[in-house]
Amino acid sequence: MNGFLAPAIGDQLDALLPFLIVAGGGLLVMLVDALFRTKRKDHLSLLTLIVLLLSVLAQLRSGFGDERVLLSGMLTVTDFSRFFDFLFVGCAVLTTVFAGSAFDRGGRQRPEFFPLLLFAVLGMMVLASASDLLSVFLGLETMSLAVYVLAGGVRGDVRSSEAGFKYLLMGSFASAFLLMGMALLYGFAGGTAFSDIGRALAAGPGERGLAALAGGLILVGFGFKVAMVPFHMWTPDVYDGAPAYVTGFMATAVKAAGFAILTRFVLLMQPHLAFTWYPLLVGLAVVTMSVGNLVALAQNGIKRMLAWSSIAHAGYLLLGVVTLISPAHGNSGQMMLGREVGEAAGSALLFYLLGYSLMNLAAFGVIGALSKGGREADEIERYAGLSRRKPLAAAVLAIAMLSLAGIPPMVGFMSKFYLFSAVVRAGLVPLAIIGVINSLLSVYYYLRILVVMYMKKPEEGGYDDADTVAVSAAAVLAGLILLLGVMPEGVHRAAQEIFRQITF
Amino acid sequence: MSFITDHILSWVTFLPLAGSLLLWTVVRREGPARLLALGVALADFVLSLHLWFHFDPKTGVDQFVERVAWLADGRISYNLGMDGISLMLVMLTTLLGPIVILSTWRAVTERVPEFMGFLLLLQAAMLGTFFARDMLLFYVFWEAMLIPMYFIIGVWGGQRRLYAAVKFFIFTMVGSVFMLIGIIYMYYHAGSMDLRAFLALDLPRQAQLWLFGAFFLAFAIKVPLFPLHTWLPDAHVEAPTAGSVILAGVLLKMGTYGMLRFAMPLFPQGVATFAPLISTLAVIGIIYGALVALVQPDVKKLVAYSSVSHLGFAVLGLFSLTKLGVAGSLYQMLAHGLSTGALFLLVGVIYERRHTREISEFGGLAHGMPRYATIFLITTLASMGLPGMAGFVAEFMILFGTFGSTTLAHGRLLTVLASTGVVLGAIYMLWMYQRVFLGRRDNPRNEGLADLSGRELVVLLPLVVLMFWLGVRPGVVLDRVEASIDRVLAPLAIEGAAPAGLGAALTTPVLELPEGQGRFVFGNPEMR
Repeated sequence: MNGFLAPAIGDQLDALLPFLIVAGGGLLVMLVDALFRTKRKDHLSLLTLIVLLLSVLAQLRSGFGDERVLLSGMLTVTDFSRFFDFLFVGCAVLTTVFAGSAFDRGGRQRPEFFPLLLFAVLGMMVLASASDLLSVFLGLETMSLAVYVLAGGVRGDVRSSEAGFKYLLMGSFASAFLLMGMALLYGFAGGTAFSDIGRALAAGPGERGLAALAGGLILVGFGFKVAMVPFHMWTPDVYDGAPAYVTGFMATAVKAAGFAILTRFVLLMQPHLAFTWYPLLVGLAVVTMSVGNLVALAQNGIKRMLAWSSIAHAGYLLLGVVTLISPAHGNSGQMMLGREVGEAAGSALLFYLLGYSLMNLAAFGVIGALSKGGREADEIERYAGLSRRKPLAAAVLAIAMLSLAGIPPMVGFMSKFYLFSAVVRAGLVPLAIIGVINSLLSVYYYLRILVVMYMKKPEEGGYDDADTVAVSAAAVLAGLILLLGVMPEGVHRAAQEIFRQITF
Repeated sequence: MSFITDHILSWVTFLPLAGSLLLWTVVRREGPARLLALGVALADFVLSLHLWFHFDPKTGVDQFVERVAWLADGRISYNLGMDGISLMLVMLTTLLGPIVILSTWRAVTERVPEFMGFLLLLQAAMLGTFFARDMLLFYVFWEAMLIPMYFIIGVWGGQRRLYAAVKFFIFTMVGSVFMLIGIIYMYYHAGSMDLRAFLALDLPRQAQLWLFGAFFLAFAIKVPLFPLHTWLPDAHVEAPTAGSVILAGVLLKMGTYGMLRFAMPLFPQGVATFAPLISTLAVIGIIYGALVALVQPDVKKLVAYSSVSHLGFAVLGLFSLTKLGVAGSLYQMLAHGLSTGALFLLVGVIYERRHTREISEFGGLAHGMPRYATIFLITTLASMGLPGMAGFVAEFMILFGTFGSTTLAHGRLLTVLASTGVVLGAIYMLWMYQRVFLGRRDNPRNEGLADLSGRELVVLLPLVVLMFWLGVRPGVVLDRVEASIDRVLAPLAIEGAAPAGLGAALTTPVLELPEGQGRFVFGNPEMR
């Protein structure tokens, strides 16, 4: 038995190594915490960073450009999944830095934070490379369970506990939908591997209705994770209640993971179900961005505002997904357009996720840096005059806000440019117009933060203390936001390359 | 020097940016910050003089071109170029740069390095907008202008600065995002963001109408064309003096420049369809702006509304669709930049001394401040378009161009109506001057006010000289822009010579006169 498995694992080891390092690292950090109980937790964050770094090195070592089927088809590592792995690890690195600084400033998170973070990353990595319904579910739940605890993990904080509990309840509900869908799909295809499903869909009409229903239920499950309207209800409360560094992680890595699997899944079902889903997804994309932006206008807490803004951004990203599967009906009616549009939309989607992660991490990084002793820097009014008290923190937050609003020369503009380009190219000009009207709405609430920070006088009780480490890390992100805003070509080209490998 | 002259447009554009980066990071003390900003602005002006002297007026083709692939395998490029139209507006920008910085020497005392940094950043973005020949690059510069102006109004502005800053930002954004969609749409049909590729497109009429609408909205808001002007008085009144000067001097010209450079040549069908409507709106703006200016109790607001009126002339000239009108419109952009820029500076001078701009607070200022009153009078006359001053040349050309327009069915009616704007302009300007400077000095607080200082004279005199110079030597400008205007308007197939009639008699010669003769035609009031 051993001899039968060993060579197979041996072949796959280099591709599996990133997963193993994160998993083993999570266990190791937990052990170290249990064995060396010290007051300061610096060694844990350092260890976490090392683990994440090692997984990146392992990833780099295993190479790019090829498709590796692992563990009897449970996982398929492609450049698509590698892109997301880097994104997850990057988000986790910054979250570790932000969390470390928050703990130094009296944040009351449990020490299990770091192992849980690593497990969440593991779940995401599995999710992004899953090629079997079972591994999808495993990855999703590994991620979700870890994040539920992260969100609710601040001891003695009612709002955090509420956030965690709410997230858990709603998330379980969504998982049930997902599982039901998977069961139906299994019944339809007779197997859980993506290849089985693809074959069954291609085989002929059969139980098309069943497959469509199953797909719809699965969509509910994923829609919950990416905060798509109408499955977004948890988002404001959870983003608001969780500490800023966890919220930053949820808004970026968790959302990216959701979009990774959503994209994979939509592409799997697309050749056969595009026409069933397509109008539905179009509607959901429009509703999601509009609701997100409209409600964000009325928020007084910066975290709630960013929560609604993240819903709006999910809407823009859904626009990318919609374009990805849009029936090839370009203006000239060429069939070739399908592939071109797919590439444009897919690469725009990846670029958007990257840009969006940079700006949200920067924003939540600054919010976390201003928080102190477990009290979150949440009230927008208390940012008054921040530019005089903490010029660098204010500048970073301003750049993040302008980028989120899509003003050049920030990465947010380039993201929107690529995205709307793909949308226009697919012939969906009305959707692009709805998109830009939405980004107009968003300008108002993003600017409000700038107004408060730069144009109002500092007041008594305003936030005036920022953690240097966290602000510096956020400043690096701000630098990347500007750099990628001016020179997006390298990353965008890589993203295009990734979608060139995918068959539509 | 060749490493500068080979990339002269980039140097002119990015030198201010480099200066602003220094101001935000290294030079953090007030005195050095002011000097550095002034030095950078002066250096930029000197660099731009190279453009002025090496510019070849015989061709309308872009000169000093720089082109480097930027995105999408070079389909989107970093592409700068300059023709006569850009040259004029660039010179205006670089000239106003040091003047504005010098004018804030005393007025801005708070967060000086940041303020100077934003001024220079704004200058870089404006110059880039005038040079850009790639549509995405243009859009990036166009939008980038918003950020510094937003901060200049919002941080250093007056009482209602927050409202004004946000209003300015959102109004401008509303127009530009639709233009972005238009640009993207054309990009996929042209296969490149190069302006020339856009010009080569032959779009169906329906598409042209929509695209014209999208582009025109962005530019019309910036101009601002009636009824999209409501952000302007707020922005002007709340902005600090330096902000108002740049806003009136250069930023508003972005709108008319955009129409001339992009909206008109790209969409001839759109122009043909909408020209009657737009020129009507322009005339409404001329009269409306003047009437509202008439009743303003606040000097700055008066000048702001006069801008609405003056830029109405600029738009009217463009959409008269005659070469004369278009050249006049460009002339109006320069004349308005000089005279209104100077007016805002002058208003700033008195505001620094009295901390009010209410006309009723003043009276008889000429007694104590002779130099101030004199320069104010000259500027007032320039703004009204007195013969011999720059504004006269511009309005004259625009009115003649409109009168002789063959494409505007109601061109003559519009000319008559627009002429009332000239009369109203004289009324509101002179009445304001009378109430502020003449009569007895009743208000004791107006006694003992210091006359213009040496610094203030240095700030104002170049503008005054130029008002006269452009008034008597229009050839300086017209010779340099003629070929470029021809080239830009080529897609519209505008008839150079208007048909018989008064218009024809006067339109044809101007731009076709042999070298040297055309120069005096419009400057000399005794022409007829």
